[in-house]
Amino acid sequence: MSDTATDRESSAAESDDGWTVVVGVKQVPDSDEVGIDPDTGRLDRANAPAVLNAPDRDALEAALSIRDAVGGTVTAVTMGPPTATDVLEEAVAMGCDDAALVTDRAFAGSDTWPTSYALAEAVDHLGADVAVCGEETTDSSTGQVPPGIAAHNGWAQLTYVEDVDPLPEEGRLAARRDVEGGHERIAADLPVVVAVAYGEFEPRPAGLHRKLYAETDFEPLELTADDLGIDADDVGMDASPTQVGGMETVDPVDREKETVETPAELLDALSDEGVIAR
Amino acid sequence: MTDDADADAKGRREPMRDPSYDGAFDAIVVGAGLAGSAAAVTMADEGLDVLVIERGRYPGAKNVFGGVLYTPTLRELVDVTSAPVERYVAEKRFSMLSDDDETAVSLRPGEWHDPPHNDSYTVLRGEFDRWFAEQAVDAGAVLLTETTVTGLVREDDGRIAGVETDRPDGTITADYVVLAEGGNSLVSEGADLRKPERAENVAVGVKEVLEFPERDEVIRDRFRLSNDAGASYHYFGEGAVGDAVGGGFIYTNEDTVSVGLAYRISDAAGSQPKPEQTLNAFKSHPSVAPLLRGARTVEYGAKTIPEGGSESIPKLVHDGAVVVGDAAGLVLNNGVHLEGTNMAVESGHLGGEAIAEAAERGRTDEAAFKSYPERLEASFVVQNLERYGWLMERVEADRDLIFEELPHALADAGAEYFRMDREPKEKHAEEARERLFETVGGLRGAAKLAYRYREVLR
Repeated sequence: MSDTATDRESSAAESDDGWTVVVGVKQVPDSDEVGIDPDTGRLDRANAPAVLNAPDRDALEAALSIRDAVGGTVTAVTMGPPTATDVLEEAVAMGCDDAALVTDRAFAGSDTWPTSYALAEAVDHLGADVAVCGEETTDSSTGQVPPGIAAHNGWAQLTYVEDVDPLPEEGRLAARRDVEGGHERIAADLPVVVAVAYGEFEPRPAGLHRKLYAETDFEPLELTADDLGIDADDVGMDASPTQVGGMETVDPVDREKETVETPAELLDALSDEGVIAR
Repeated sequence: MTDDADADAKGRREPMRDPSYDGAFDAIVVGAGLAGSAAAVTMADEGLDVLVIERGRYPGAKNVFGGVLYTPTLRELVDVTSAPVERYVAEKRFSMLSDDDETAVSLRPGEWHDPPHNDSYTVLRGEFDRWFAEQAVDAGAVLLTETTVTGLVREDDGRIAGVETDRPDGTITADYVVLAEGGNSLVSEGADLRKPERAENVAVGVKEVLEFPERDEVIRDRFRLSNDAGASYHYFGEGAVGDAVGGGFIYTNEDTVSVGLAYRISDAAGSQPKPEQTLNAFKSHPSVAPLLRGARTVEYGAKTIPEGGSESIPKLVHDGAVVVGDAAGLVLNNGVHLEGTNMAVESGHLGGEAIAEAAERGRTDEAAFKSYPERLEASFVVQNLERYGWLMERVEADRDLIFEELPHALADAGAEYFRMDREPKEKHAEEARERLFETVGGLRGAAKLAYRYREVLR
């Protein structure tokens, strides 16, 4: 086959300059396509195609913009089955230099605790100065994994980040983060975990040749529990502390639908019900 | 570089820093519709490295065609047994509509029930194009979606040598380009490969896909169908498209029906109401509405259809490129026959073969592709276009007669002929004949009219 790419840049050794940025991405069911089974009332996720978690596009853009500013590399990482390679291809198409698939039977059934542990080991293994994540995933919305990575590694964390400002001379990353009633600007020493706010970054379109490369010739690095020095007993279903006590459908409460004409009548009614004391 | 130097400790190839696919593919196909995928399958089967560039999220995503697919050439190219077809066409019905009358002829030949079912199937192109493009990928082609080709790369001598896209770093070169971009052929026009079509040669097509939520058997019952048999209903006259030159259709899919109109864009831009209003009027015609009762619209779309016939076919070969399918004006849409899909497949296939032959000889000049226009000329595609080219002109000259007066006259004559009262039948027949003659200009007029349209049956 002659349809192999050529590398326009000489394969000169990578310089030691710049930061190593690792960005965490996840494959989720396309929320536009998730339907509700009209008979059971349950979410039908099986028929929804798997896509890149939308907030991760913001994370990718933030990561690439850090590389634009200080140089270095961006490596995307995801944990999942081999089919999750699709989202890594998307990351490489957007501009990531490399991508790693953290995959092992031992990880099956992991909740956010072992997941953030495995990812913490992965970003450490990849030598990250900065680990960037989306604020949450659209299929579980816990927002626990980015702080979990920071906690497992004992790194600083910046959450709900709206803008990043790398300060390479100081070896710190400054960020503007969303807080109630405004924003604050804080700086953290490297290494640091950054969780970006959804919708705050404008993801760049994939270049033509990069997209072709990502979809046809790119092969992700595969990392197993063994590669990461993870004991199989510390991950997976059995190592997941989350317990779902049960699920029930709550029936709507019947409303009395009484109308009162004046505020005084409302106060009387509330008083009669014992809601307020008079 | 040796393989060892490329591979890292895990045995995978080192990632490239700045990959380039310039010259990596032998041919680039613009558009993953029927013509594009036919060309891609053909070239990939011949051992060429093929890149197909599609602007939609998936092939067919931008396609509003819901209708009859004719499969003689397709069957030669790919295994169609797994193709997502809806129903085979077991009935063709032609109706003249005035504002409130219908006069119809229905054909249900028994042999259409037997494979290969006259090579006519109803399909939804959103699904079919996706499947067809997958066949091209299975044959070895690379499909790149969500990428719009915006222009062509030319060498100093004018030879076409690649395409420009809307992506960053978006130019890619290859020896051959197949333009299969469809009826709205902006790339071909932008590159001066064809002139913008004159308004009188372009039809606007509007289509809805409707479902019947209340129960499953509605389509079979209303259209008198068993199992996977289907129907294609064609409508003409002012009840279908108002004052415009064109017609309407209803095709049965498996669980839905496709309902639509196609008429000339010059009419759409003039006094004619908006396309969706014309479609709504058609759907509420007294003889159409009962077929669609209780139906719910699930999809709406519009497209342009080139219908200039053989005279509108642009130059099909250029140094480094061929033009196929709708982009080449290869559509037959004249009222009696509504065909474009089989021509698209045929032209894509012939264009792809011509490139494979040229590649074999290491040539990219237009003369090297000459087998494509020659074989197309000799094929049913151009023969049919030429044969019916005159029809569009005739119909235009007689438009008031054909689309307005004749439907009324036929309905009135029919009503008169079968009128139940106490007059003798002979008198009714006489009056029916008079009503018809009055419209067509007597016996001489009728004879002239028949003579003018004799070619339809020749």
